[in-house]
Amino acid sequence: MIETVLNPLLVPPVGPPTTQSNRERAGQVARRASIENSRLAAVPRKEYRRLLAGLEPVTLTFGEVLYEPGETIRHVYFPGSSLVSLLTLVDGHLTLETGLIGREGMVGIPLVLGHNVSSVRALVQGTGTAMRMAAARFSKEFRLSLALQQELYRYTHTLMAQIAQTAACNRFHVVEMRLARWLLMTHDRVKSDQFHMTHEFLGHMLGVRRVGVTKAAHALQQRKLIGYSRGDITVLDRRGLEAAACQCYDVVKDMHDGAPAGHAVRKMRISACLTAQIRSVRRHT
Amino acid sequence: MHAPHTPKQNHLLAALPAADYERLLPHLEQTPLELGWALYESGGEQGHVYFPTTSIVSLLCIMQDGSSAEIAVVGNEGLVGIALFMGGESTTGRAVVQSAGYGYRLRASVLKTEFGQGGALQHLLLRYTQALITQMAQTAVCNRRHSVEQQLCRWLLLSLDRLSSIELTMTQELIANMLGVRREGVTEAAGHLQAAGLIHYSRGKITVLDRPKLEARVCECYAVVKRESDRLLSRETAIVDPLS
Repeated sequence: MIETVLNPLLVPPVGPPTTQSNRERAGQVARRASIENSRLAAVPRKEYRRLLAGLEPVTLTFGEVLYEPGETIRHVYFPGSSLVSLLTLVDGHLTLETGLIGREGMVGIPLVLGHNVSSVRALVQGTGTAMRMAAARFSKEFRLSLALQQELYRYTHTLMAQIAQTAACNRFHVVEMRLARWLLMTHDRVKSDQFHMTHEFLGHMLGVRRVGVTKAAHALQQRKLIGYSRGDITVLDRRGLEAAACQCYDVVKDMHDGAPAGHAVRKMRISACLTAQIRSVRRHT
Repeated sequence: MHAPHTPKQNHLLAALPAADYERLLPHLEQTPLELGWALYESGGEQGHVYFPTTSIVSLLCIMQDGSSAEIAVVGNEGLVGIALFMGGESTTGRAVVQSAGYGYRLRASVLKTEFGQGGALQHLLLRYTQALITQMAQTAVCNRRHSVEQQLCRWLLLSLDRLSSIELTMTQELIANMLGVRREGVTEAAGHLQAAGLIHYSRGKITVLDRPKLEARVCECYAVVKRESDRLLSRETAIVDPLS
């Protein structure tokens, strides 16, 4: 099995003839790639070592589909430099990105919740490294590691906040703000100023037609916040992009950072209008 | 006369094996949930989780300018307060009672202890979380892709499934706020449904007259959400309590 060969810590000195240098190299790759993922990095060293035995470094390629809705999940993925979009489908073909997962997260959350079927399409939107683990192995490790459970429950909760914010954002914010938010979220995860992205692909992510994306991207380009050429997007002015994005970006980022700084502010501004309406309904009853 | 309330009116509690249920029972406190009451606020701490029985709670996402959009609806099939056991100390949203009724609440400390023991309750709550995630994602895409009329149908059906009556107490303004659309949009959509004989709307009360037709008009999002929560419970009753 490739997994045992790749793990330098648990491979017994007997068995298939693997050269020391190969194993060492594989081990280095494994260690480097997994540390890239912050969920794995947060697990205590001893438990992490045990996890490593079941982790396999892989390269995820742009456009690769990891899961389709209704499909059984065969692997979970801990992205390093790669980026994975969770797309919810309607009417067979219309999609919307409801989650974006990079080094801060894990792809395969249903397994954390005791369910082995994906309800979304998981699509690689940024080529890069990841560590993967077979589903059965993951479920076993997950049961054994309290630290992993806590990490992933908390992460699941922030992912839910991302989905919720996306739902509201789609309702209220114009494409230009949403595009700016999406670019910032991508920028945070890939840690590179440039990424490849067609307008059509962005349309699927944002749930708008290609024309809408083109218009919004053009506006951001004119404001010199991004550069766009032949599908390559370059972030030129990150601060400007932050100003152009809707608040939804900060809200989700606060959750991921574990610092609910924005919340106090949000609480103060809670809809006076909604409260008044609820009162009026109450009077009727 | 009203039938006596029991925690088993909540499907999650009803799906617990007898021993787990008996252990929780002394801690379950019946609570009236009044219309408009916020069970939790954005950023606030949660002292309890709530298992609605005859009430419906909307989970809302509140924007900085005060506008809000419903991201999920919780009734007798679920619980309010996921953040407590998922380890997120606070929530980003707000949970507001959308249809008055009763529910049972459980202290945070009791829930955390039970959840930590990894038994049937943990299993059920996690499975419910998965169903809730599906509902939220489907709502997000529905907001983007479907007409106000379809969304209104979805909202009415999801609400009805969580109540035992065919009547909802609700103003169009409040629905507009839940759906995050302008009131005119809701008025128009409700007008169409009324003209087609599907619902009757008067003075803040909506009565569903023809449910099959409402189901024929709704977008697929309703079925997706329903299937997910049905599957959760059917499988759970089989796995958790094979003797029942």
